[in-house]
Amino acid sequence: MEQVVVTPASLDEAVAALSARPEAVPVAGGTDLMAAVNSGHLRPAGLVGLGRINELRGWQYQDGHALLGAGLTHARMGRPDFAALIPALAAAARTAGPPQIRNAGTLGGNIVTAAPTGDSLPVLAALEATVVLAGPDGASREVPVSHLLTGLDPLRTGELVAFVRVPLLHAPQTFLKATGRSGPARAIASVAVVLDPARRAVRCAVGAVAPVPLRPLEAENWVASCIDWDGKRRIAPEACEAFGDYVAVACVPAPEPEESAPPAGVVQLRRTVSVLARRALGRALA
Amino acid sequence: MTGPDAATATPPAGTRVPQADPRPHGLGASVPPLDALAKAQGTFPYAADLWAEGLLWAAVLRSPHPHARILRIDTAPAVALPGVHSVVTAEDVPGEALQGRRVHDRPVFASELVRHHGEPIAAVAADHPDTARLAAAAIVVEYEVLEPVTDPEQAFNAPPLHPDGNLIRHIPLCFGDPDIIGDVIVEGLYRVGRQDPAPIGAEAGLAVPRPDGGVELYVASTDPHTDRDLAAACFGLEQERVRVVVTGVPGAMGDREDAGMQIPLGLLALRTGHPVKLVATREESFLGHVHRHPTLLRYRHHADTEGRLVKVEAQILLDAGAYADTSAEALAAAVAFACGPYVVSHAFVEGWAVRTNNPPSGHVRGEGAMQVCAAYEGQMDKLAAKLGMDPVELRMRNVMATGDLMPTSQSVTCPAPVGELLQAVREAPLPPLPVDDTEAAWLLPGGPDGAGDPAAVRRGVGYGVGMVHMLGIEGADEVSTATVRISNGSATVICAAVETGQGFSTLARQIVQEVLGVDEVHVAPVDTDQPPAGASARGRHTWVSGGAVERAAKMVRTQLLQPLAARFGMSVELLSIADGKITSYDGVLSTTVAEALEGKELWATAQCRPHPTEPLDEFGQGDAFVGLAFAAMRAVVDVDIEMGTIRVVEVTVAQDVGRVLNPRRLAARIEAGVTQGVGMALMEDLRTSHGLVQKPGFTGYALPTALDAPDVVIAKLVEERDVVASFGAKAAGAVPVVVAPAAVASAVRSATGRPINRLPIRPQNAIVAQPAPPPPHG
Ligand SMILES: Cc1cc2nc3c(=O)[nH]c(=O)nc-3n(C[C@H](O)[C@H](O)[C@H](O)COP(=O)(O)OP(=O)(O)OC[C@H]3O[C@@H](n4cnc5c(N)ncnc54)[C@H](O)[C@@H]3O)c2cc1C
Repeated sequence: MEQVVVTPASLDEAVAALSARPEAVPVAGGTDLMAAVNSGHLRPAGLVGLGRINELRGWQYQDGHALLGAGLTHARMGRPDFAALIPALAAAARTAGPPQIRNAGTLGGNIVTAAPTGDSLPVLAALEATVVLAGPDGASREVPVSHLLTGLDPLRTGELVAFVRVPLLHAPQTFLKATGRSGPARAIASVAVVLDPARRAVRCAVGAVAPVPLRPLEAENWVASCIDWDGKRRIAPEACEAFGDYVAVACVPAPEPEESAPPAGVVQLRRTVSVLARRALGRALA
Repeated sequence: MTGPDAATATPPAGTRVPQADPRPHGLGASVPPLDALAKAQGTFPYAADLWAEGLLWAAVLRSPHPHARILRIDTAPAVALPGVHSVVTAEDVPGEALQGRRVHDRPVFASELVRHHGEPIAAVAADHPDTARLAAAAIVVEYEVLEPVTDPEQAFNAPPLHPDGNLIRHIPLCFGDPDIIGDVIVEGLYRVGRQDPAPIGAEAGLAVPRPDGGVELYVASTDPHTDRDLAAACFGLEQERVRVVVTGVPGAMGDREDAGMQIPLGLLALRTGHPVKLVATREESFLGHVHRHPTLLRYRHHADTEGRLVKVEAQILLDAGAYADTSAEALAAAVAFACGPYVVSHAFVEGWAVRTNNPPSGHVRGEGAMQVCAAYEGQMDKLAAKLGMDPVELRMRNVMATGDLMPTSQSVTCPAPVGELLQAVREAPLPPLPVDDTEAAWLLPGGPDGAGDPAAVRRGVGYGVGMVHMLGIEGADEVSTATVRISNGSATVICAAVETGQGFSTLARQIVQEVLGVDEVHVAPVDTDQPPAGASARGRHTWVSGGAVERAAKMVRTQLLQPLAARFGMSVELLSIADGKITSYDGVLSTTVAEALEGKELWATAQCRPHPTEPLDEFGQGDAFVGLAFAAMRAVVDVDIEMGTIRVVEVTVAQDVGRVLNPRRLAARIEAGVTQGVGMALMEDLRTSHGLVQKPGFTGYALPTALDAPDVVIAKLVEERDVVASFGAKAAGAVPVVVAPAAVASAVRSATGRPINRLPIRPQNAIVAQPAPPPPHG
């Protein structure tokens, strides 16, 4: 079986290479892709390596937004300068696997893999980020990250994730993740909380409990009304606690038909999400 | 993990910890393993790295069902694929159709009935690994899916899953007076999950056909002669025509390697006439090898008001999975150690090992002993709480000592310094609370950058003591043979004891250095042309093979010194060897080993066979064990009581080791054992759902990482020589695994006040209910 590997140096070249060989697969850090190849689940006919494309490895600023290159690694996003810009994404990046994986794994790869446990995903959902897709012949379109993840507007043949547009909110954000051990592990549940003081809004997303991150919109609206936005952005501890429960019930549904008592697994997951959400909001408002 | 140095970095005052020894050789020195560097640098070759000219690749087709009748197997689609050389099924096994470690009850390939998820059905050899896998997948198997028996409690009444029946063993141990009743009674129900040995290197092997019609198997076997005998019987060949060559062993926590892979591999090599290689995927590895027995334990402890144990009643149910393997032995250990290292005058322990359609269980170090330790120590905590007594004090009142009787009526003749061990861990200083030590970054449960909240973290301190047997039990013939050769001032050891990482090859070098005074000692690679040395498990090679090496080395020493002694008219005992020099007691004679050899080669072969044991009788009575080892531990844990996340901060160990033969290796063995125990306590559980193994991979099956491994502090190593054991030493690898889970569970109990009767501990069992918050306003 002949395998072709190309390593273009620019985004345009990469898109062109992909158009030329539609059966080829893009590879960034390879931390998801190569695992699938090595276990025999995937046999790509060709690879388009994205590692040499410098324009994808950094970020730019544009109208109050940051335009993040899809090739940003988790390690890069975890650094303090990035954390000052988008704290929750940095926090997620710092927990996305062991150091070797974070050195290689990228934001774009995390989005395209779209695993339920993808750590950047709830943060991007809470930030209402959009994804800039580069297609053949210079075509480019922008899609809300949630549309991409839910398959409402999926990646098309020949398209690459080029950038991720994230608003710069200049306010605290948090990302918390529950795992089964102290060392690096996949999320059992995760919660991202983002404050948007200009809109007096709180945005929250829960990861790992469903195929895609879930937004508890009612809980967000309710809790935004409990915050003293003009003062020190304080919240009563009971409200914080109630927010946790609200988020948990919204995002971890009891199986149908609604029984009198939800099963133990649901109770435990709700408890976990509730504590995460409470702590995430508490830390954002601290 | 904090590495072997961690324990020695800051020894708490007054404790004895292994110290770096400047002496580079001999017993008692921290001689490093010769292969350590190659292993650390990744250049050490394992079976997965082997290659032979013209080799084919094998793949095994495994059952996707835990219980099914096979109606039809059609291999034609696989055979038709280009590149496929051979496809074998049960029909192609020329010899014995059944194999198995203790009991031959396991088909090489399932042909009529599938009894567990992952059971081998066919194997393929092809010229590319992908072709082999595709071909295996192309084999058509028609199943009639049957309802699996997955609850061991249901196995008793379920229709037999096997011609041998569902009850693999039953031991009703009766010791003392059944009618006696204590003033205080506590009861408990405990569950222990399915720990996987999870070796870092999955199973792999290379089979090479021999010109004489035989075959050589290059595999990471830890029991090469047993594996050879099984394979030869299935191939229908004389044992001499099958040779198992042991490659580097990438991790072994028990009986390593899966005969269900080795035998198909050899068959394919015999049929195709080509070398055949197989490297199991991680998923196959989880499906193929044996696991620790999931266990259900019911206990009732009776004590007097002073906290002295009066009677222990217990029921122990081991889930053996589909095949017997070593379950009978695991059950004997569980029943015999059911009361722990305590003096109990009346014990009634009923144990069963039953067959189910769950993945097969077998020997993982600490088998049987670990599960009961978690339970009897849980009972001791419960009893202490009921009596309002300090849990350590309660244990101290009951500890066993040399001369006491076990509930099997076997008298404990070896050192049993249980009280001294417990005292040592109790007195060791506690680690500071992070709030008192602002310098130290507090690694909260949940890990760095995790969700842990200091306000919700409670610290707990708990204790555990436990015991385990060494060597095979109940009449197993524990024997090993070793050969030592000396020539030109360097020595060679030939012994079929496999180096699994337990340190045997280093120990063998140390022994020969000590006895023959030569520095350069080679340990030959192992194969089955050498005389058997038995399995690398149950701490036997330190004792049995180490003993054989010592005897052989001493025989060589006598051969070397006798001519000199005769010439100088003195007895051999008056000559000593050190640093390659032979000197007499009075200094008159001084020569080198090389000179004394006069160009000759000296050889000697010796055996070591410890005193025999006997099977437990129908009431669980008998001298079933050759040796016993004990340890005490104190675990310190931090629990996030809202999330139920747990981090083990420190484990302090005091262990009964007989004699320290290599301080650095010993510390490493203890740290490794504690870490495996922490894995059992907090996360390791290979889950099944209706008999199907869930998430067989390292994402789904969590192992402790460096951040989960606690600081291991060795508070005391009691060096009371075991006079019947070689060197007076006790094997050190298993007892930490036995005790650590119990100590961690005890610490979580103390942090949360929750019962903790299930291992691994699930977050929901470590959560402390908070007072309900007032309802939200707004
Ligand atoms: C041991 C281990 C632990 C891990 N732990 C975590 C964890 O805790 N949390 C977590 O979120 N993830 C984890 N991961 C998963 C993985 O590291 C991340 O999902 C990572 O972000 C993937 O990025 P990558 O660059 O390696 O993607 P790749 O493997 O290169 O690609 C993944 C997929 O995305 C496609 N792709 C990549 N870049 C682009 C692009 N620009 N445009 C279009 N398609 C693209 C590829 O074709 C492929 O289908 C872990 C992985 C491993 C091996």
